[in-house]
Amino acid sequence: MTAIEVKNLTVRLGERIVLNNLGFTAQEKEIVAVIGPNGSGKTTLVRAMLGLLPFKGEIKILGKSPRQILGEVGYVPQRFDFDRTFPITVGEFLSLSLKKEKTSRIDEVLKKVGMLPYKNRMLGTLSGGQLQRILIGNAIIHRPKILFLDEAISGIDIEGVKDFYSTVQSMKEEYKMTIMMISHEINIVYKFADTILCLNRDLLCRGDPRKVLTKETLEKLYGDSAEPREHQHR
Amino acid sequence: MISDFFDIFQYPFMQRALLAGLVLGGVLAYFGIFVVLRKMSFFSDGIAHASLAGVAVGLLFGFAPLFTAVVAGVFFASLIYFLEKKTSLSADAVIGIIFTAGMALGVVLMSLRSGYQPELISFLFGNILAVKSSDLVFIAFLAAVIVGFLFREQKKLILLSLDYELAYVSGVKASLYQYLTYVLLSIAVVLGIKILGIVLISAILIIPVSTAKLLSVSFKSLVLRSLIISEAVVLLGLALSYYLNLPTAALIVLVGAAAFLTAVFIKSVSARRAS
Repeated sequence: MTAIEVKNLTVRLGERIVLNNLGFTAQEKEIVAVIGPNGSGKTTLVRAMLGLLPFKGEIKILGKSPRQILGEVGYVPQRFDFDRTFPITVGEFLSLSLKKEKTSRIDEVLKKVGMLPYKNRMLGTLSGGQLQRILIGNAIIHRPKILFLDEAISGIDIEGVKDFYSTVQSMKEEYKMTIMMISHEINIVYKFADTILCLNRDLLCRGDPRKVLTKETLEKLYGDSAEPREHQHR
Repeated sequence: MISDFFDIFQYPFMQRALLAGLVLGGVLAYFGIFVVLRKMSFFSDGIAHASLAGVAVGLLFGFAPLFTAVVAGVFFASLIYFLEKKTSLSADAVIGIIFTAGMALGVVLMSLRSGYQPELISFLFGNILAVKSSDLVFIAFLAAVIVGFLFREQKKLILLSLDYELAYVSGVKASLYQYLTYVLLSIAVVLGIKILGIVLISAILIIPVSTAKLLSVSFKSLVLRSLIISEAVVLLGLALSYYLNLPTAALIVLVGAAAFLTAVFIKSVSARRAS
């Protein structure tokens, strides 16, 4: 069954066309990876799909428009800039996304992302990797059918990245989620994604990463001298 | 000594002052959490100053100044929201314009009245001892509405304060809640003018929560400590003002500042011990 359907999607920021007449579909329980160089429109695509940007064309997520699906999707942003001195515990933060506080659900999610011992820690004292795990927990707490990950691994070390995607994949199986992720990590995309979208304003390729990601495709996408960004170790 | 302390509240004007102080201290401390989290202290300061125009309209045309100031506060808050949305100007610039324009309008309107104007001084620097029974009813009603909203929508407001996009994707009607926050904060600030005045009102929004923030590790403890500190500061300021015969609003702010400095000292000592 089709989970995501995008037709003739065009997004302008001012006079500049950032996404040009894109069209693709994603099936239920698929992991779709979006790759492309900096400024290629990856984050713009996710933001349009979440209703955060105006667009021309059609976006359907589980048969609904982006505005209709708000509250039913999970989202892990690229950056989560908050006042780290603000006193709020991990458990309290997760309870914000629940209509009624359910301690059992919070514990279940924290266990799932390996952060149960941190439940009473202040959110602002967590490391980058720990915070990303909490954001994943927050994104899945209401059992969404679609999860968007916008470069969710920036700031995590290489071991953390593997753990992160293993967690994501196990949750995909358990919750039967469709996942759309932006990534610069070609090795990660090879390993975890079912479908890849190569983006550079236009949709340059689409399909199984093991078939589509050839040397020619990568050169076309990133240019002759350009390489996909290496993972930033911190 | 304790019986002496309670003796001062046998006078009706002190009873009204105590009730108004405790109600407004609680509301403003609770709202202050979101003001500090969203860095909105300039907004509250701007609304307080701009509401002078409303006070002036009330005094000039014979309406209750507190009521006309609330109307002016809501009007200016809506104007700030609209201008932020419709122009590319920063929030600071928009607030700065409204702040000064509202205050200037108030000064012009007040100049149309001749003679000494004691009400103006009381709105500028606060006069909690002059709270009337009708003011108290008005304050209590609006305070109940504001606290009800904050308590009911607390989770959405925290999420919105932490990250606008995350809140939006979670289904929070971000623009609506932002507007409601502006309007209700403007009402809370204008009501608070009665105790602290236009010039000092921001203190009770900022000081209790900033003090509590230094000593808290969870949101629940932050709320509880902000409320306790705010009520204690109002109570102590009121009592000191009675005994020392000094301006109440200024003493409330000074007691608050002393509480904040004490918290800074406690925090630095405990951090030194921990390291």
